[in-house]
Formats: sequence, structure tokens, C-alpha cells
Amino acid sequence: MQAERHAIHIVRRGKVVEISDFAPTETLLDYLRLRERAIGTKEGCAEGDCGACTVALGRPGEGEGTEYRPVNACIHLLGMADGAEVITVEDMARDGELHPIQQSMVEHHASQCGFCTPGFVMALFALYHREAPDGLDRTQVNDAIAGNLCRCTGYKPIVAAALDACADPVFDGFGTDETIMALKEADKGKTLFVGDENRFFAAPVSIDELAALYVLHPDATLVAGATDVGLWITKQMRPIDRVIHLGRIREMTAIEDNPDSLVIGAAATYADAWDALSKLDPDIAEVLRRLGSPQVRAVGTVGGNIANGSPIGDTPPLLIALGAETMLRHGGDIRVLALEDFYLDYGKQDRQPGEFVESFRVEKPGPNTAFRAYKISKRFDQDISAVLAAFALDIHQGIIRSAKIAFGGMAGIPKRARYAEKALKDISLNDPSGWQPAIDALARDFAPMDDHRASAAYRSQVAGGLLKKALTEIAGEDTMATRLTGTREAADVGLT
Amino acid sequence: MATRTFGEPVQRNIDDRLLTGQGHYIDDIDLPSVAHAAFLRSPFARAKITSIDVSAARAHPGVLGVFTCDNIGHIDQDLPLLIPHPCLVGPRTQRPLARGDVYYVGQTVAMVVAVDRYTAEDAVRLIEVDYDPLPVSVELEDAAADGANLVHEDVAGNVAAHFVQNSGDAAAAFARADHVTKITVRVERSTAAPMEGRAVCARWDRITEQLMVWDSTQAPISVRGGLASLFDIDEDRVRVVAPDVGGGFGQKVLFFYPEEVLVPMAAIQLDRPVKWIEDRTENFIGSTQERTQVHTIELAATKDGEVLGLRDFFLHDTGSFIPYGIAIAQVASTSIAGPYRIPNIEVEFKAIYTPTVPVTPYRGCGRPQACFAIERAMDKLAEELGLDRFEVRRRNFIAPDQFPWKREGLLFADGLAVCYDSGEYDTALSKAAEAIGLDRLDEMKADARARGKYLGLGLGFYVEGTGLGPYEGGHVRIHPITGKIYVNTGLSTQGQGHDTVFAQIAADQLGVDPSDVIVVEGDTGAFDWGVATFASRAAVVSGNAIHKAASKAREMVIEAAANMLEAAPGDIELAEGKARISGSDRAVTLAEVATATNPLRYAFNKAAQSATQFAPASKHDGPPLADGKAPGIEVTDYYSPPYSTWAYGCHAALVEVDPALCTVDIRQYVCVHDCGNMINPMIVEGQVIGGMAQGLGGALYEKVQYDQDGNPRNAGFMDFLMPYATEMPKVDIVHMETPSPLNPLGIKGVGEAGTIAVPATIISGIEDALKPLGAGHFHEAPVFPHMIFEKLGGADQAKAS
Repeated sequence: MQAERHAIHIVRRGKVVEISDFAPTETLLDYLRLRERAIGTKEGCAEGDCGACTVALGRPGEGEGTEYRPVNACIHLLGMADGAEVITVEDMARDGELHPIQQSMVEHHASQCGFCTPGFVMALFALYHREAPDGLDRTQVNDAIAGNLCRCTGYKPIVAAALDACADPVFDGFGTDETIMALKEADKGKTLFVGDENRFFAAPVSIDELAALYVLHPDATLVAGATDVGLWITKQMRPIDRVIHLGRIREMTAIEDNPDSLVIGAAATYADAWDALSKLDPDIAEVLRRLGSPQVRAVGTVGGNIANGSPIGDTPPLLIALGAETMLRHGGDIRVLALEDFYLDYGKQDRQPGEFVESFRVEKPGPNTAFRAYKISKRFDQDISAVLAAFALDIHQGIIRSAKIAFGGMAGIPKRARYAEKALKDISLNDPSGWQPAIDALARDFAPMDDHRASAAYRSQVAGGLLKKALTEIAGEDTMATRLTGTREAADVGLT
Repeated sequence: MATRTFGEPVQRNIDDRLLTGQGHYIDDIDLPSVAHAAFLRSPFARAKITSIDVSAARAHPGVLGVFTCDNIGHIDQDLPLLIPHPCLVGPRTQRPLARGDVYYVGQTVAMVVAVDRYTAEDAVRLIEVDYDPLPVSVELEDAAADGANLVHEDVAGNVAAHFVQNSGDAAAAFARADHVTKITVRVERSTAAPMEGRAVCARWDRITEQLMVWDSTQAPISVRGGLASLFDIDEDRVRVVAPDVGGGFGQKVLFFYPEEVLVPMAAIQLDRPVKWIEDRTENFIGSTQERTQVHTIELAATKDGEVLGLRDFFLHDTGSFIPYGIAIAQVASTSIAGPYRIPNIEVEFKAIYTPTVPVTPYRGCGRPQACFAIERAMDKLAEELGLDRFEVRRRNFIAPDQFPWKREGLLFADGLAVCYDSGEYDTALSKAAEAIGLDRLDEMKADARARGKYLGLGLGFYVEGTGLGPYEGGHVRIHPITGKIYVNTGLSTQGQGHDTVFAQIAADQLGVDPSDVIVVEGDTGAFDWGVATFASRAAVVSGNAIHKAASKAREMVIEAAANMLEAAPGDIELAEGKARISGSDRAVTLAEVATATNPLRYAFNKAAQSATQFAPASKHDGPPLADGKAPGIEVTDYYSPPYSTWAYGCHAALVEVDPALCTVDIRQYVCVHDCGNMINPMIVEGQVIGGMAQGLGGALYEKVQYDQDGNPRNAGFMDFLMPYATEMPKVDIVHMETPSPLNPLGIKGVGEAGTIAVPATIISGIEDALKPLGAGHFHEAPVFPHMIFEKLGGADQAKAS
């Protein structure tokens, strides 16, 4: 293949920096701390859970300005930052004046030991530069810092500081025309290849280049957001010599929003797919809100979540219930599979060497389809689901014509509840006495496991409870009232 | 008189630095040619080591040294038992690197020092160790049972300590009681999980022959003493600095961890700076934890609910070693009677070895367990006697005029009899009831029922012995050039805001702004008398020491200024950095006073001219510095508390449970607390809310889990569930200020106040919520959804179906 670039370019403090000597596994955090000695950014866990290493990446937004997203630098590969402005906590104060976020945090006593503080500052910087700046409540702030752990403050002062600082219009000197110019200079829009055939970081810009490169190096690691692969590096210390980054391939990051369907490129991030997916159903928005954290969703992709076959991913059951298909590509060949057929067994997917997931196609629920999804976990944010349930019922005149039900956490793979689906067929929505056979059928569909997250019996109970809850809601009950923290949030909006 | 800043929400001096990324933690210290250490840790809970082969690691490029127990010289010994106690029947502490045996997953077996951390980690993987695994009894009750597998072959029954204490005559009280309530409660293991893990960096300077150690510790002076002793170096040639410490919560008060002696040792041996930064996994398997206790508590009461006597027997899990002695169990056993008079008490505990990470204090230190036991028992007593939960507490509170209330025979962690100094317990209870809306409880319960949920009232009252001795010091000096106040104390910060509250205390005495007070702590090179920051003691003990020193400095300033201004001392007031004659504009700055009291040879600035030998003001009727006088304004003083001050508070919560999903939602939370006079209410609130978040973890989310072989099952943030922002409910804090009569500032500690009562409060709320469903009692902490499910009979139903 014809690589046209052998160095990445990032924007630091207004200047374009070229980096050509880096290992494919070098993290952005190591670059900042060890090379730049920009030591304000901290490592708290090296697995993307605590957010102490949060930095903001700026890229040209859809409009004219710069879009800032928070990322966990500890698991963000340096090569992935190509073309972005990298902002760390040291860059925030200007001319001796604290950034509005920093100033507000001082006033609200939002820092104690200070170790997590740089990460909070940067997560809130991204919130400060949010796309829709109108109105901000406590729930939105909680969501914005759902990837940041603090062991000292109990969060309240941080939330108060954010509400105060973000109430004012953006005025901090970031995201200016100069920024856009620097970003344009940094983003060369050409295929990147740093290293040699044995050890490289590559970022093709077209799907054909990717297909060719992957056929040549079927053992290379495909990386989209690295929210999983990052942990292979930092926690499992796996040697990874060849990395192909998908994030620069337009065709794979695109989201095609058709009247009847969505086609999501496998390398589209959750942040990019957020609007389109959320519009499918409010319950999908509610699950996505709790999927990872803003830092994870900024880079983590729908495709990665699905392609690595994790039994605990929250998205597959949602998409399976919606009847999603996955497009697999090998060289020039394309194969289409129903998503549920992609999962063969625990840790095993129907994917051949050199084959990669290109995109997903999701039918939009029609007017007769009622959809519900629930995530049950101990902790609200960033917790692996004990049970994730998704229900799509086709209803005509109060009668369930057909049902698609998929669960996560109930088996080694995301799985349809075919017995329950069958039991719901032709059942009246308005007669709860007829629901029980479907609830009982779940016991035939699933034999869940006991583990440290939940007991098997509890999982079974919850699965049945969620089916009943879905039917109750579809039959007319208010969703907010039954949502997990919905009532508290509703009562608590704006309070700190 | 200057405006007093004591009691004001003064913004923190340190924040601009921390907010802009200028905080300096150990990993931020950049030393030339620094080498990095990594550790090989035991993969077995209990095993014999049959062989270790380090040859491949030693040959790995970039490796500077590989260490096992065989090449670390005389530090291959049991690390110190920090707090000896006569009841320790089988005290065991660990060695820096395992010799022959390993006792928990995570124990250090070998250390590699290399040019960078990556190389060191790679070389660790090249070390080959053969183990013979031994059978283990991991759960506390199993380890305490007859025939249990032993952690230490020579410690029978795994009993590390056995202790009985009596106050009054419990047997007589039980004999005459109308009613006895007895429950067994269990609190699980948690961990402090500070955001910065432990970390050590050391440099041996051949020229000055000084060992310099930067340590993310709560106890730099104690670490210095230990290192000097272990390496047989004079104390003044060991300097320990705790720079910014990214949280500790007790975990960093223990010394020595193996890494804390091995890293300095390697720096000396290799004649090169060495750094070790704990990673998150290591923090879960190599840093101490706390909480598991199983209490069987009995209350002997009259039919009116007056508790005449209390018996408590408990097992305390001390992990594989007991370096911190019985401190946790002793605090639990002496806090067990809570705010209640209960004149007859018998407490007994056994500290039991389990093949797990060693146990030392974590924020709360035995008190959350004691609070959970007594508060759940008081609820049960109320239920059994058909009394109101609030009323049964009221009938037993120590009344304000009954202080000091001494529990003769119960010795607290400071070795002195438990003696509560002051409090208004009944008022605290009433304030909690009011703040939580007790009068609307039925209405709120009905509202929840209408939504398919069940709401309950959580209630928990705690007492906390704080500010224990032996002492701390305060050193106050006025800088002659800038006039700024320089303050030292021996303990260190872990983020609480010492630099600000200590500055306020000094500022009030000397009439300056707190931002003009420079507080330096945690550096044995700056001040090296004192102990450490733990047990909610910094404000009480160091704060009062600084207050005493600053008061004396104030007298010196007034005397000197009176001389300079030719006025009577009684007419001098200190404000805005000046000493002024009241009601006039005649004043001298503190810099001038500090300069004038320091007779000079050289005039290095304008103010200094007046202190030189030919200046008009210089006196020549004796030596420039009178006999017995010291130059400048400088005072060191100490505070040693007569006994601990007892803070207290009452928490209440509205807890809503969804019976279908067994999920818990805390609708509202109230913390009423009393830590005596508050130096800075903003910082106090920060301590209370932050502590409450950790308590919330202990109530609903956090449990360190081991499998039956002793392998940790959730050693990371993905599985050890600490609260994020969303988990925090609405919290109202109600401050009460009953001064402590024991110290000049009238303060009590607040560091652990928020944490102690949370599990008791939330879990009593769950129990109250589910009473209509006949769920029974919740006597374990934390409570997870599947436990609610089982209490609701779900498991039986599931089996039956």
C-alpha cells in the first residue's frame, strides 16, 4: 500500500507538533507525562475507569467551531490523537487567570487531595464547550463526570461548581478561528503509516486501503477507540506490534440516517452515533447514557463493542431486539449476518481471519412497534450489567403480533429469548393474566450464572420482572415513574 | 482586632495550584537517572516457595538489580509491630520479601529495578518461582472455626489477639433486665482506594551522606524514625517528605509496607535514585484494607427501654498480618455503646488471621462496625419492646449535664479510659428528625407505594473519639523580609485542607490574611517532632499546637511593637499585617517587627537598616541580643491532649426500594454532626460529604471479594464499585457546635464523621421500607440487590418454580 505520511500531527498550545517516532502502543498519557513532561495529567487506574488522566481532544465540529471531547489519555493510543488539538489541565489558565471551570471549583471547594482534579477539570471543560449550551441540570453534570472518580469530595461541590461555571456563555479563548486553522494544518487527510512491516501504527483513510492492509496483516490488531485494546496493553501487558486504526476511514465512521433504517459504520463512536441511536427510542438513550462514560463514548465505537464479542456489552441486545444486521467484509467480499447469528459462543464470533465488521444496519421501529430497554446494575454509571433487557413488540389493536426479546448478562453471549417471544405471540396487552406464560418461558430460554455481580436466581427474577415491567409500561404506565433513578432525578433537577 | 477568620469559609490556599495541574505527587518528581522498581507478587493465598530463579530477569537488558530475600541484607527481617499490646497472643508482621512462605495473593516475593518501569515489569515476568500451594480458610468465620487451615503454622486457631474489657458489671445488669435483645451483624471488607496509590522515591546522596525519601505517606516523621532505625543511619541523615498526597484515608498511615523499605534500600545499594509507583491492581492486592467484623451484640433492658447492660463479642479479620496491633478492634469495642449511657459493658474480641491482604485502619477504623452493631441492636430493641426508634434512643442518651461521661475500664486507642467530653445528643436527634421530615413520613411512604415502591426511614447515631495523642507541634515564625507567617507542623496532609485551617489559626493570632501564612508540613527537614495524620486528629492536635505557638508569637510581636512605637502593650492591636496603636495611624509592619527583633550587621534592605548597629533605634546598653532572648519572632509549642475529644452526629435517610428489581434509591440524606467549634465550615462540609460518599460505598456498593482459594475477585475499579457522582443522593448537612472543653480552640475532629453511620442508616432504611413485605432484618453491610431479593423470599420462589 502507498502510505503517504509517516508522522502524526497534533495541536498543542496553538502549535502543530509532528511526532514520527512512537511505538504503536504508546499511550497519549505516556507521551504527555514522559515526553512532554506535562505532568498535570495523572494516572489513577490505567484502565479508563477513574478519569484522572482525562484530557480534551478538539477536532473541527459539524458547524464552524471546534468540538471538544474528553478522553482517557491512559488508554488512548498516541497515534489516534492524529489531527486533534490536545488540551491538558496546564493549558487552561491563561495570563494568570484561572479558567472559569477552575475558578468555580476553587469557589465551591471542589478539590481536596487534588489528584483526580485535573481529570474533573478537563471533563467539565468538555461540558463547558457542549454542543447544546442551553440549560444544564444536575443530571447532565452527573453524566458529564460519570467517568471520573473522586474519593475525597463526595462530588457535590464539583457538581455545584459545574452548574455555576457552565451557566455562563462560553468565554475562555478556546476553539477560536486560530484553532480551526491549526487543526486544518494538522489534519493531513492522508493515510498514515508509522513504523515498519513488523511493528507499525497505521491509519488508512479508505475502506479499500484497510481491506488490503488487513489481508496483508491478518494478525494486526484493529483498533477503533481502544477502550478495550488499551487495557490489553496497560493491564494484560500483551505485546501488540501491528495496529490498524479505523478512526480515519470516513466510510466506516459515517452514520447513514435513512427514513426506515440506520446504517452505522463500525468505527462510528458512541458520541457520533448518540443522536441517531437515541432518536430510535428514549430507552436506548437511557441505556447509552449509562454505557461507559463520556470519555469512553467519545472514542469507543458501536462496532468495537459488538465485534470483540464481549458477553457484557450493552448494545448488542438492543440492536438484536431491533433486528440489526451486520456487514462483514473480507477483501472485496461482503457477508451479511443477522446480529444474533454473529455470536456463536462465549468469546467466539463468526468472523474469519482478515474479515472485519464494516457496518450495521438497524431497522427503525415502525409505528406499531413498542420498544423498551432496561439496564440493571448495582451502580448507575460504568457498571457491568447484571441484566440488560431489550424488548421490541409488534402490536396491532392491543394484541402482540410478534416479539423480539434479547438479553445480556443471562448467557455467555447476547441472546434472544425465543420461548418467551413465542409465548407472547397473539397475547393481549390489556390482560396481564395472560403474560405469565411468557415470563415463565424465560426459564427455558436462559440458565444464567452465579458470579460476583449477581446470583443466578436474582438474574432470573430480574429478567422476569423486566419483561413484566415492559409489558406494564407498554400497556400504559408511565416510563419515568418506573425508571431506576427517574423519580429521584425528576425531583432533584437543579439541586446539588 | 483583626477580623477573625476562625469559623469562616475561607477558600483554600492550595487550590490554585491543584486546579492548574501544579500539584506534585511522587510520580511527578523527576530525578536525573532515576531507576524504576516493579514487584513480583504471590499468586497464591498460602504456599511454600520451593525455588526462585531470577537468572533470566537479571540478564534482561536494562535491569539494574533483582532482589529476593537472599540479597537484601539485614532488612530481611519481620517488619516492625507498630502498636504492641499485651493481648496480642500471636503477633506476626511480614518481611519485605517473602522467605519460604507466602501468606496472601499480592505479597511481595521479588523486586526488579530497571531503567524504566516497562523494562522492570518485563523482567518481573522472567522470574520463575515454584510454589507448593497450601489449603486455606478464607472467610473470617471459617478461619476462626475449629480445624481451620492455619495462616501461620505456629499460631493456634488463627488467633492473633484476644481481649476482654469490662466497664461496670454486665452480668448483674443482664440478671436484672426485663428484656434481652440479641443480634448478630456482619460488616464486609472494603478498601480506601485513594486516587493516588502508594508511591515511594528515594535518593542516596553520597556527598552529604543523606537518604532522601519522598513517600506518599500519612506519617513522614514515623517513616523517618523507622528508616533510620532499620538502616542504622542517624535520624538527621534521613529526610522524609510527603509532598502532595493524593488521598490516604488510613491506608497510607501504615509503615512499613515492603516497598517503603525496599526502594530506599535499592537506592543505597545501586547508588542511584529509585522510584516505585503503585498501580491500581497493586493497590487492591498490596495495600491494606479494613472492615470485616462479625459482632454478636446483646442489650439488657428494662421494659421501658432503658439499656442497663451491653455484651458484645466479635471476630475481627486482620488479614494475614497484624502490623498495626489491635487498634481497629479496640476502637470498635470501645465505641460500641455509642451515645448511650449503658453503664455496664462487657466487650470481647478475637482478631483472626485470614490469608488475605493485611488489615489496618481505613477511614472510620472500627467505628462503622460498632455503629452498625449498636444501632441495629437499638432498632431491634425498639421493635421487640414496641417502642418508637427515636424514643428508645432518647431514653438512653447521655444528657448534656452528664458530661464528662467516663466508661471506667474501657481503654480507648490512646490507652486512656473512654471519656466523652461534651455533646447534645438529644438535640442532634431532633434536628435529624426535622431535617428528614419525620412528620411527613407516612405521607411519603404512601406516595412511594402508589408508585410501586417501598420507602423507609434510615437512622444511625454515631460517636467518634477524635484527636488522640500523644502530641503534635506547631512552629511559627515571621519572615523578616516579607512579613509572611511561616508555620510548620510534623504531620502531613492527604488533601484535607490543613494548609488553610492551620493558616486561619495562625492568622487570627497575628492579624494577617490566611493567604499570607505559609504552611509547610510533611517534611522532616522542616519540622520533625510529631506523629501523623489519622484518627481525625490533625485539626485538634496540630491545630491547637499552632494556636499555642501563634499566641505566644502574638505576645512577642506586641511587646516588640510597643517598644518600637513607644506605647503600652495594652494599646497595641494586630491587623492587616501591622501592629498599630489602637485608634491611631501609628503602626509598624510585622516585617519591621521581625527585622527589628533580629539585630543585624548588614543592611540588606530598607527595613533592615533600622536593625543595624548604627541605627538610632539600636540599643547599646547591653548585648544586641539580650541574654535568654532569641532573634526574630519565632515560637515552637506543642499540644498534648489529656484524652480524646468525642465528636458525634445523627444521620437519617429516606430510602426507597423497588421490590421487583430489588434496587435501592436514596431519596434524601441528612447528616447532623457536631465537631465542636468549626475552624472552616466549608472544609468541614467537604470532610462530611466526602466521608459520607465512602460510607455510601460501604452501605451499597463496595465489598472486597475473595474466592474460596483466596484470589481477589474484584481488584480493579471496573468491579470494585465506588460511587460516581450519580450515586450521591441529595445530602443536607446540619452543623452543631458544642465546644470541646479539652482544648483551647474547643474543637473536635471531623475527618471520619461522614463515614461512620452511613451503613447503619441506609440499611436500617431498607429494613424499614420492606417491613410491610415481611422481609425481616438486614444485619449485613453492604446490602446488594440479590440480598434484598433473597430477603423477599425470591430465592425460595425461584427454587420452587
